[in-house]
Amino acid sequence: MKDQKIRKSDFHPVLRIFVYLMVIVFTVLTLYPLYWLFISSLKTNTEFQLNLIGWPQRPTFNNYPSAWRLAQFDTLFVNSIFFTVVSTLLIIAFSLMAGFAFAKIRSKLTTFLHGSFIIGILLTLQSIMVPLFLMSIAVGLYDTRLGVLIPYVGMGLPIGIYLCTEFIKSIPDSVVESARIDGASYFRIFLSIIAPMAKPVAVTLAILNVSGVWNEFMLINILVSRDALRTLPVGILKFSGALASDHGRQFAALTIGLVPMVIFYLIFRKQITQGVSAGAVKG
Amino acid sequence: MKRVAHWWTEERRAYLLLVLPAVAVYWAVMAFPTIFSFVLSLTNYNGGAIFNNPNIELVGFKHYLRMFNDRYFWISLKNNGLIMAVSVFGQIPLGFLFAYVIHRKLVKFGDFFQTIIYLPCVISTIIVGRLWQSFFSPYGPFTEFMQKLQPGWENELFFDPQLAILPVLFVILWMYTGTYMIIFLANLQKIDPALIEAARIDGATEWQVLVRIMLPALSGVIVTACILAISGSLKSFDLLYAMTGGNPARRTSVLALYMYDTAFRHSPNYPLANAISVVMVLLSFAIILMVRFTEAKFGGRE
Repeated sequence: MKDQKIRKSDFHPVLRIFVYLMVIVFTVLTLYPLYWLFISSLKTNTEFQLNLIGWPQRPTFNNYPSAWRLAQFDTLFVNSIFFTVVSTLLIIAFSLMAGFAFAKIRSKLTTFLHGSFIIGILLTLQSIMVPLFLMSIAVGLYDTRLGVLIPYVGMGLPIGIYLCTEFIKSIPDSVVESARIDGASYFRIFLSIIAPMAKPVAVTLAILNVSGVWNEFMLINILVSRDALRTLPVGILKFSGALASDHGRQFAALTIGLVPMVIFYLIFRKQITQGVSAGAVKG
Repeated sequence: MKRVAHWWTEERRAYLLLVLPAVAVYWAVMAFPTIFSFVLSLTNYNGGAIFNNPNIELVGFKHYLRMFNDRYFWISLKNNGLIMAVSVFGQIPLGFLFAYVIHRKLVKFGDFFQTIIYLPCVISTIIVGRLWQSFFSPYGPFTEFMQKLQPGWENELFFDPQLAILPVLFVILWMYTGTYMIIFLANLQKIDPALIEAARIDGATEWQVLVRIMLPALSGVIVTACILAISGSLKSFDLLYAMTGGNPARRTSVLALYMYDTAFRHSPNYPLANAISVVMVLLSFAIILMVRFTEAKFGGRE
């Protein structure tokens, strides 16, 4: 873009150097710890103790299979994928349905109901963790998949409903009206007109929720105690706490946990950054 | 939409069925627990049946008084304040600087830097916490570097109650600056380039463009960023839980961790924990109202 070009003389060279330094420092601060983590995961404990930051003399991948087995990564991955996929699909479906009703069907209830979701954007998860824990025990959902899934869906709804309502509002009323005149029911209209049109907002929601739920720790940590229901963050923390002095395996476990999200990010970089800025809603 | 009499029942039924799943789930796990939390904070409930339990009595604001007299409450609050300060005065200006520099192409490889600076935000906070805990620990690279600079340096970062919060604040700055960069970048791209070009042709300097066009155009976004930063800093939990666990001697505790410790460690005290959560909700609403008020009073054009 020509019009975006800057006259170089506008910026003092010292300023430019300063700016480069800042950016480079941040980059190094991100890449170096990850590099250190990776090379440390290739060392045996004996080597790690002798050689804290250098490249391993005899790199070995032996830490990976044993970390995978000890931390039960297959269970962790299955659970993380399950909670992420199911909660994201439900959030998208529920948000689109309610967003359609709020945006296109007149009702006196809308102000109150929609408003209650908007307040929810500001609510912190922390404020409900104790009551949720007590309630889940009282209704028998403690230590069950459903008991984790329902709060995950509830957590994602406020922002989901906000984005969906705004998006569906921007679809012209005449689209819905003419379908009504042709005799289509609201469910028909939702399924065959609104839902297909709402793809962009569904993608935004998917991006926001996948990273949110995949990395969620606090709720699942208090709502579940069985090994069989643990997700990656819970399992990794348990493992790394229990084997704090077993550096090689601990770092291998951290690397295993880190890789999927980094790949996901590198593939969907554009969508993720768009999703993040769309999700940054004023409270 | 025009309303015709015989549509009415179907319209109403459709509305209710469409909103039902969302409303039911949301009220069950978000809205109701928030209210319930306040009610519990006024009772003496501490275990046992929670609904229809005749032994539960209202005890008024006793737990709030107890909390305000607990020094760990104030230590936690102070740490939340520090995190808030780093967020508002560190992450937001730095995020803006990076966004500006990348948007105006002041550095080459803007795309690459943008990707890397945002990278920490996508990694699980637990992994980030464990990684940096190792990094700053006596066997991590930080100690090695310090000992190169200053032979015989002893790493007491995580043992010294005064210092232990510093690595945490550093990681928080490192981790979330990227979010604000992304938000500012997206909004800088919305400014019409023709507007800037016209100003430049009229002889405005780059500095004037920044101060007169870009900052006013972003004033709304800056307020949003502040609100996000403030509510975000009240939420801090995972990172501290993974990095320090609130230690040494609970000196790096934050409100959420203080509440967690109250409810789930040692002997549980649910009413007190609920009182803490109510205070957290009120705090976040109060601060957001203050930001809004400041914006309304001194706010720039949008």
